[in-house]
Amino acid sequence: MIMVITLIIQVVLVLLIAPFVSGLVVWFKARFQGRQGASPLLVYYALLTTLKKEHVISASRSWVFRLVPFMVLGVAVFLALTLPLVFSDSGISQVDLFVLAGVLALSSVFLVLGGLDAATAFGGMGASREMTLAALIEPAVLTTFAAFATVAESTSVQEIFGQGMSAWSHPALLLSFGALILITLAENARYPIDNPATHLELTMVHEAMVLEYSGPYLAMLEYASSIKLTVFLLILGNLVWAKPEGAFDPMTIGLAVGGVLATVVVGSFALGLLESSIAKMRFFRMQEYMSIAFFLALFGLILTLVV
Amino acid sequence: MHCQVESVEFATLVGKLIESGLPLSLVYATDDRAQKNTFSVHAVLSLEEEAQWLVLSTSVSSESPSYPSITASVMAAHWYERYLQDMFGITPEGHPDPRRLVHHENIPEETHPLRKDFAWNTKLDHAQVPYPMHHVEGDGVYEIPVGPIHAGIIEPGHFRFNVAGERIITLEGKLFFTHKGVEKLLEGKTPEEALAFIERLSGDMAASHALAFCQAVEKISETKVPERAQALRVALCELERLTMHIHDLANIAGMGTGYSLMAANGFRVKERLVRLSESLLGNRFWRGAIVPGGVTRDWTEGECDLVSETATAAVKEMQDLVAMAMQSDGLRERLETTGVLKHETAIAYGAVGLPARASGVMRDVRASHPYAAYQELPWKLVTAMDGDVYARYRCRVDELAVSLEVLLAALKLNRGGVVCTGLSYKDGSGIGAVESWRGEILTVVHLKNGKIERCMPRDPSFCNWALFGELGPGNIVPDFPLCNKSLNLSYSGTDM
Repeated sequence: MIMVITLIIQVVLVLLIAPFVSGLVVWFKARFQGRQGASPLLVYYALLTTLKKEHVISASRSWVFRLVPFMVLGVAVFLALTLPLVFSDSGISQVDLFVLAGVLALSSVFLVLGGLDAATAFGGMGASREMTLAALIEPAVLTTFAAFATVAESTSVQEIFGQGMSAWSHPALLLSFGALILITLAENARYPIDNPATHLELTMVHEAMVLEYSGPYLAMLEYASSIKLTVFLLILGNLVWAKPEGAFDPMTIGLAVGGVLATVVVGSFALGLLESSIAKMRFFRMQEYMSIAFFLALFGLILTLVV
Repeated sequence: MHCQVESVEFATLVGKLIESGLPLSLVYATDDRAQKNTFSVHAVLSLEEEAQWLVLSTSVSSESPSYPSITASVMAAHWYERYLQDMFGITPEGHPDPRRLVHHENIPEETHPLRKDFAWNTKLDHAQVPYPMHHVEGDGVYEIPVGPIHAGIIEPGHFRFNVAGERIITLEGKLFFTHKGVEKLLEGKTPEEALAFIERLSGDMAASHALAFCQAVEKISETKVPERAQALRVALCELERLTMHIHDLANIAGMGTGYSLMAANGFRVKERLVRLSESLLGNRFWRGAIVPGGVTRDWTEGECDLVSETATAAVKEMQDLVAMAMQSDGLRERLETTGVLKHETAIAYGAVGLPARASGVMRDVRASHPYAAYQELPWKLVTAMDGDVYARYRCRVDELAVSLEVLLAALKLNRGGVVCTGLSYKDGSGIGAVESWRGEILTVVHLKNGKIERCMPRDPSFCNWALFGELGPGNIVPDFPLCNKSLNLSYSGTDM
């Protein structure tokens, strides 16, 4: 019973604050650059407006095109549902790291198919870039997860990211934590990999794949991006300070919700600072970025095995 | 200087002169059928040491208008000759790329708008004339069409990339989507009436275009412009240069690489100068001050102080921003080695302006054909050797400092006295040349009975657009916006 309640609290909370997190990053960026910045709540209005607009769909697309937003949003909701984000024991314990890696890849694959489906030049370009990046980041993702699994002596995400394990519970995990930050930036199409704010189609990765989407489908894809970013920030947060164990009393719930809000504010602040202080990386330099992520992860894994 | 040449020897002679080191500045045609029953083609070369323009002209028969192409041996002539082929129906024989340039598919064959017997308000039928673009075939090679409608608030232009993966193999542009017919509309107008059209050729270089046009008209009329007006003309052009260099520095680093801090703050700094224009001239484009015979009015002491204070503060702030941005390795890394324009390519294509100077081509009208008050002012030529986006960026940074110095000196130069003199128009032709922030503007004006017979304002963009075909290939697709922003060419100025 308590499990169901904590799960409901988690899903509702994460889905509710996700647009706020996206808006907060934009707001922090604006403030760092000396601009006034739009209210972080603007994203809610933007999503609702997009949701109300009609679709404009290319005649040359297939059924895959319509399936993509559901798959991508589905994966995002799945992440919000299964990972221990709000309480240390919320989420679904049966989900392990390999399911997680697979589900993330599934979302990428469908985004890529959506980009290719309408057969536009930009969609194909974004899709090819996404696949290049996905192939480069995959080894780092698996190696990082392996290091965490070794220390936790379990592959269950709940035991790894939920129950009291932090980045400093084993010295090697500091390296893996570093790798996880790089992975978070890559998976969420943020700097220095991708520029979510650009209007230059030729430089886009993630945005190029969703260019053909409009109306409710676009809203779904954007909402999915927000959820994914929120989930990743909360996971990183879990490794810095542990969330309370799930219980149905106001004190625990308040503590958990406060922890979630603090995490996303700190995370958005850091992301806004990063995106205001560096230039986007040249695309042919991505392998260097990914190599850093991979070697951090690999050394983390080696240390967990020998120390 | 003017020479009349036989059409069979025209191309050979022009080719030899260019080979001896004279830069080709313009090739244009005129319809002289009313007077001589022929068309004429003129090539304008720059005699740098004598500070003169050498004009070679040839007559082309009106029955079968053709002459041996200059482009067959001189690359710099290729757009000019395609242009006169479209506009006058004169065929440059042996042109390596005889496709249309200005006319798109929808313009019927045998439409030559600049012939005198073509009425400006002619309604054309919709045609389907093929306009093949270059493309490459092979395993894994694909085409990316971009534009003519773009995501930003920029003008329309179509770019066709042939790429293998991310690497650009060929890149071709198709412009001329907004043909305004300015050249045609100018015919039969007085210089005063024409000025409004000239100022609107390209919104970001209104002052420079106006100055080039006025200089051409004044040369024909042998008018001596008052000295204070010459100083104010320099001040206006340098203010325009400051405004746009600040814009470009913000745009390249900010929008081109995603270092958005530079965009947010650089555009704010630019806005100060734009507002300065508004407070002085009543518009945001440095427009409406330069007129044939001088400038509209002198600035008061207070206005001069306002200009020098605002410009000094804006440049200082921009220099601080650039100094901060240049400490970012990530940003430097994006700019360096990107979009290299080789020295030989810049010469062969007749590149002008800052992109040419960043590739080590010492070409600046202010040095070779001094005008207005530049000889009395502390002006310096800014160059670089590497020819990449970073070199063009550095040149802008250096020119910003030089430009401010020139502006401040110009404000103090020859104070007092009249700033405008009356003109009595004579018949004849004249050339006005101005080094705008974008590069060399060359405006040719032919006057007859106080009216414009033919006027060709050649924007620097016209010379530089073709450079993309050379500096793009070898780069990766996501770096193209950076190359594009580092040249910042005008669509409107090219597409008169």
